[in-house]
Amino acid sequence: MRRLSLSNRLALLFAACTAVVSLFAGVLFSRASEAHFIELDQQLLDGKLIGLRRALQDIQSSESEVRLQDELSRQADLSLRITGSDGQRWYDSSIRLPKDLPQTPGLSTLSSDGTDYRVLNAPLYLDKPDSPQLTLLLDITHHQHFLQRMQHLIWLTVGLSALATALLGAWAARSGLRPLRRMSAVASGVSAHSLNARLPEENMPPELAEMAHSFNAMLGRLDDSFQRLSAFSADIAHELRTPLSNLLTHTQVTLTRPRPIEDYREALHSNLEELQWMAQLVNDMLYLAKADHGLLMPKREPLELAEEVDLLLEFFAPLAEDAQVKLSRDGTAQMEGDRSMLRRALSNLLDNALRFTPANGEVRVRIIDQAKGLSLAVENSGDGIAEALLPRLFDRFYRADPARQEGSSEHAGLGLAITQSIIRAHGGQIRCESENEWTRFVIELPKKN
Amino acid sequence: MKLLIVEDQAKTGHYLRQGLTEAGFNTELVADGSTGQQLALTGDYALLILDVMLPGRDGWQILQAVRGAGLDTPVLFLTARDAVEDRVHGLELGADDYLVKPFAFSELLARVRSLLRRGSAAPQETALQLADLRLDLIRRRVERSGQRIDLTAKEFALLEMLLRRQGEVLPKSLIASQVWDMNFDSDTNVIEVAIRRLRLKIDDDFPHKLIHTVRGMGYVLEERDA
Repeated sequence: MRRLSLSNRLALLFAACTAVVSLFAGVLFSRASEAHFIELDQQLLDGKLIGLRRALQDIQSSESEVRLQDELSRQADLSLRITGSDGQRWYDSSIRLPKDLPQTPGLSTLSSDGTDYRVLNAPLYLDKPDSPQLTLLLDITHHQHFLQRMQHLIWLTVGLSALATALLGAWAARSGLRPLRRMSAVASGVSAHSLNARLPEENMPPELAEMAHSFNAMLGRLDDSFQRLSAFSADIAHELRTPLSNLLTHTQVTLTRPRPIEDYREALHSNLEELQWMAQLVNDMLYLAKADHGLLMPKREPLELAEEVDLLLEFFAPLAEDAQVKLSRDGTAQMEGDRSMLRRALSNLLDNALRFTPANGEVRVRIIDQAKGLSLAVENSGDGIAEALLPRLFDRFYRADPARQEGSSEHAGLGLAITQSIIRAHGGQIRCESENEWTRFVIELPKKN
Repeated sequence: MKLLIVEDQAKTGHYLRQGLTEAGFNTELVADGSTGQQLALTGDYALLILDVMLPGRDGWQILQAVRGAGLDTPVLFLTARDAVEDRVHGLELGADDYLVKPFAFSELLARVRSLLRRGSAAPQETALQLADLRLDLIRRRVERSGQRIDLTAKEFALLEMLLRRQGEVLPKSLIASQVWDMNFDSDTNVIEVAIRRLRLKIDDDFPHKLIHTVRGMGYVLEERDA
């Protein structure tokens, strides 16, 4: 079965509600008017009964016949039958009266030969037990017609109002759902090339504003990731182009004419350096790709962070001494994590810090053990990094120092991105802050992954 | 000492054999897994170098067959797939080492030598020597031409490694791993600086240089004709 659209469902629901309400009102009204007519007839017939009883006080006198005719002639739609106490029909005011009439005392309704009657049975003499019976018949055909017409009218109203509310409801639902259709139109127009489309949040009804906001936020995140991804692919091609072009040129130039063996050796060495640089780049990119696909699965070894940091500081000691930079570590904490991955992450930070610390500067590692997690900061003295550049530091191929161009440096600019991936794989966060001539990379890690 | 290489990529196999042969190993190369397994099961080889993806039988199946036959020939895996599960799988099956492509030949050579050395118990030496450079392992002293040279603990460890593997080109990654226990890819130039500082103490004041840089490959300690 085809599923109904939301507006059609709402329209049907509105129509059903209106039909039920108007039907209920109509039935109530028709019952009330019928009751009202019965009451009117009762009053009329009661009045006539009194007049007739008076006219027939002495049924034997000839005057009574005249008075009866006189009484009956005042009300054309009234007929009378007088029945004796033995059931004998004594008098009919009209020949067209039905043969059988209800015998129950009081008011009743009778339908005969297309004519409707209100019938009142009452004894002629209230004080005699074997009194003749008076049966008053009031022709109420026009009342009944009126009631029937009204019932038709009620059904018509029910039908028309249901139809009208269905149409109005459909229109209202449709216009109410217009923001959703707009959302759907925007969504269907979104592709990798048009991720900048956004929904106008301010015109949205409050119920949908939140959804529109989430939708826009989702588009924003997709846009951002996609931008990074396309920039990444472009960067990869760009990064590889320089060493490839070096390799091609150098090899072709070397082969153009015969040369002493030393020149060939030199060419191969130079090529080797370019190739190694490229191999390192490819390995780093594969590592990042693995991280992006959630394939970086850290082991859970119990680690004493102070020990790990001290080993790394020992590793970097020659570099630091050479650069006349003081290395130090403060604090300790235990955690569970992957030793080799964390060493790689921290070594990138230390290497980075050492490169940007001027002579006689300082690189400090501070470990703070807190109840909910631990924080590890690698900070170095120096000129600091401009506020605007901080969020970009972890971008792939980003080099804070514009003098270091692609291919020319031994650093591909993936180190901090790799560090970030490793920290994230451990369920942690890394950020960089720079103030008062200190640059600080702060890692926050849970103790257990 | 015979090595078996099972590698289906012709170019890689060819250069591996050439490199290992020139490094002094008797090397045999086959390109398909089934032949590789037959040869490996003869037990004639001191070391197997296996590619994981092979026609016929893959590297893991060969390894299983070799271990199943009770042979403890060291096995070095070459793989283009750097998935953690792959490494774990290989090591669980009894592989001794693995290298992920692209790798440097100097790295492979160093690891091959490490694996081959593992079996033979090194004699208990008290001192290591090359030309006029002498390293006393017991008193932890270094002398060159009779002059005492002061080294830090790590410089001592670095020189000891170079002396023990004199004549071999040692890649930077291997040095970082053996001397500092740092087993990760890193583009830091710590090793260059450490070697430079060691040279300052060992070589700079003497006419015959012993520590040599092999561009793009690593460092070697050897006596060369000036």
